[in-house]
Amino acid sequence: MSRGNISLAALLWLVIAFLVIYPLSILVLESFKIAKTGGWGIGNYIEFFQDAYYLKTFVNTLFLSTLVLLTTTVFGVPLAYILARYRHWGKTVFTALILLPIVLPAFAGVFAFIIFFGKYGTVNLLLMGIGLVEKPINFIYGLQGLVFIQSLHMLPFIVLGLSAGFTNIDPSFEEAAEVEGASGFRRFFTVTLPLCTPSYLAGAVLVFLWPFTDWLTPLILGQVDFLPSVAYINISYHFTDMHRKYMGIVAVVVSSIVCISLFLLARWWVEKKKYTGLSKGTTSEGRVIEPSALVKSGAYVYMIFIAILVLLIPIVLGLAAFSRRWVFEPFPTYWTLENFRLILLESPGLIKNSFLFSGIALIFGIAFGLPVAYLIVRTRVPGKDALDFVITLMLAFPGIAIGVSYILAFWKGIPLAQYWIIMPIALFARRLPYFLRMAHSSYLQLDPSLEEASEVSGAGKIRTFFNISLPLLLKGVLVGVVMFFIMAFQEISTAVFLYKGGWETLPIGIYLNWHRGMEFGIAAAMAFLMIVITFILLLIISRIGGGVLKAAWGAGEN
Amino acid sequence: MAFIEIQSLFKRYKDVVAVNRIQLEVNKGELLTMLGPSGCGKTTTLRCIAGLEKPEEGDIVIDGQPMLSEGFVPPSKRGIGMVFQNYAVWPHMKVFNNIVYGLKLQKISRQSIRERAQQVLELVGLDGLENRYPSQLSGGQQQRVALARALVTNPKVLLLDEPLSNLDAKLREELRFEIKSLVRRMGITSVYVTHDQAEAMVISDRIAVMDSGNVVQIGTAREIYEKPANRFVADFIGTMNFMSGEVVQIPQDTDAVYVRTEFSEKMLCTTSSITETTPGKKVYASIRPEDVEVFTEPPQVTENLFKGTIAHKAYLGNFLYFFVSVNETMIRVQVPHHLPQEEGQELYLFLNPQKCMILF
Repeated sequence: MSRGNISLAALLWLVIAFLVIYPLSILVLESFKIAKTGGWGIGNYIEFFQDAYYLKTFVNTLFLSTLVLLTTTVFGVPLAYILARYRHWGKTVFTALILLPIVLPAFAGVFAFIIFFGKYGTVNLLLMGIGLVEKPINFIYGLQGLVFIQSLHMLPFIVLGLSAGFTNIDPSFEEAAEVEGASGFRRFFTVTLPLCTPSYLAGAVLVFLWPFTDWLTPLILGQVDFLPSVAYINISYHFTDMHRKYMGIVAVVVSSIVCISLFLLARWWVEKKKYTGLSKGTTSEGRVIEPSALVKSGAYVYMIFIAILVLLIPIVLGLAAFSRRWVFEPFPTYWTLENFRLILLESPGLIKNSFLFSGIALIFGIAFGLPVAYLIVRTRVPGKDALDFVITLMLAFPGIAIGVSYILAFWKGIPLAQYWIIMPIALFARRLPYFLRMAHSSYLQLDPSLEEASEVSGAGKIRTFFNISLPLLLKGVLVGVVMFFIMAFQEISTAVFLYKGGWETLPIGIYLNWHRGMEFGIAAAMAFLMIVITFILLLIISRIGGGVLKAAWGAGEN
Repeated sequence: MAFIEIQSLFKRYKDVVAVNRIQLEVNKGELLTMLGPSGCGKTTTLRCIAGLEKPEEGDIVIDGQPMLSEGFVPPSKRGIGMVFQNYAVWPHMKVFNNIVYGLKLQKISRQSIRERAQQVLELVGLDGLENRYPSQLSGGQQQRVALARALVTNPKVLLLDEPLSNLDAKLREELRFEIKSLVRRMGITSVYVTHDQAEAMVISDRIAVMDSGNVVQIGTAREIYEKPANRFVADFIGTMNFMSGEVVQIPQDTDAVYVRTEFSEKMLCTTSSITETTPGKKVYASIRPEDVEVFTEPPQVTENLFKGTIAHKAYLGNFLYFFVSVNETMIRVQVPHHLPQEEGQELYLFLNPQKCMILF
């Protein structure tokens, strides 16, 4: 074990301590402050769980999580099965479409569906137009809309996990069941599905945690009685009412604790139950079935149905972006570039900020992620597993927790939050695992003997890294870089607590436009712009060769 | 009428013919082994019997019932038990649940399920382990679970797909005999697939040797070893010296043939198919290493005596292996381990015409 590695590890730990451990400790500390007396204690927590309202938000959030998980599971299981098992045309296209929501900003979906399914949205106007209904149907404002939007956003996590599971389990497990006399559904439910539970669970936990993280969707849909939304409102709007602020902080901590514990529980369970390692002789394709014509048509109808729902997001936002005064009409009639003109003229800073902050966050990400990946894969530095663990944990932390803890930790004392650099730093901290996972897996694939050969030839460690490792890692790293950029570009739940006038990014601009003036046109144009930028970045990924699917999965996987 | 009849079975994967219109019959209570190198079509044939593959042509009749020609019978309705190469013991179920999976699908009382399971567990020597998970078992134990699971439903046919290939050598030899006696005792008609010739010879009543999608020979272990149908079979089963040559003379009214080889003008051999042997035909004069007789002084024989030099010597414990060079041709010879000869010494080889066969 070289001294260099140990100093490197120490340096990286220092960064983690400063950017993760310190602010989160401050967050927890603050939650024990009592507003009335100015003292300390667990009073806030006791009150939180005795207060009927906060308790309700907690139960509501759990209920919503359950509903979202149920919905994504019911829709995701057949979808994953079709994608993984049926031989059909357009597999790549459908896979890409169905996975698209992972890379689309969550709020983009909300806006699109409000325009399309809202009270006087396209669907209702059409239905009333042909006289099928007299009064508009409330599709979207309420629990049903919340479940629908959050489920569509999180569906890819279930589909990705399960279809990987369906592909990877040894075909003979199912054949054995078939020979034993179990056909069709029975075999699926007694053998196939149980064997896929670990891969299902990996995605399911992220789905379940989403309602503990997403404060924006409930807020836009007028459903505020959920933990993250309440936390956001309490902290952002009632910061003068110390008591409400502390209750907000408690809500953040409670959310985080739920998220972290469920995440760890799932991780532990998945590790314990890993079945894939037990099987031998798996084919790369897995068990691909040629379904009957009827089943195949059904599968197509189903895939197209989901794909259309996903595609509605960019299409509706596109329509809204290129039109004005799209109100009380099923489709826009007045086409214009006015929205884009307004964005470019009045707030070009938003676009600049988005690129600047995400770009700087990315540089931090690479500078930090590559050495960490190196330490974890190639060295035996003590504490490297703990380092990996802490960083992976960031996957589960709600964005709101990081945002709030940063504003608490870096306002006084270390007044970092008074400078714009706090924005990229926060984005970096929040999206750290995304890059690290990618770098990590590319490092695992790099045969150490290639590096050893260089060292034997007389090159030092650093020279070897730049001459041998980096060029070979480049592909995987580039995919990670672009994924990281996409995720940082969309970040709002952390950034919204930290921005000051002039620091707004595109997502914040979208939120403010909706929030202040209900300027749907401009918000839609901004969201459309983001989708276009994301799409271009995804094209770059697929050009690099990582594949959209792999990129997205590498990021989402835990 | 045979218990399993495979009739002109044809199966291909895209452009590759895996099974080329084979005919095969398995008698009731018999253990037949399909033996061949990887890619010869043995596993595909087995999977066709199981119903896990759908062949393009042909039929499989089990106990008088056609599996293909009168509509495809799915694996679950064929009344078979199968042991997979990788065991395929379900890792999320305990041993007991693995074993009774198929029984539960039949309408049997819980009591008799327990009894059946207990019997089979004892039969394969797993009693006491029924509450373990497969990950807590050794490879050999998992194999026994797979076997128990295949046997518990009293199937009409037992199919075994290289069941021992993932075990270490010692255990493999042990389990060979165990499977054999188990299957014998139960009198169950079985088809066994392996690429291990020793395993096939130990375990089978009859062996079907396969090559590139064809059955090239069917017979008992002795028949196949002593009278291989062609060069491929002789080479695959045991070791054989092949001396390429040409038929020069066929004496009347005998099964003897004279062959010219690289190292001798005239060598006397025996042929099993006199009709196919014509003068001028290219053949292999073939003899097993253990059939070559070794002398230090020339013995009193008139035919097939050759002088050679020991090029290499290998000690294999219970016997010695000599590579003897006869006029540049290398002949492998198996001799008793106490022979004192060293490399470089001269020897006389007698290739007994009765043991020296003609192969194509």
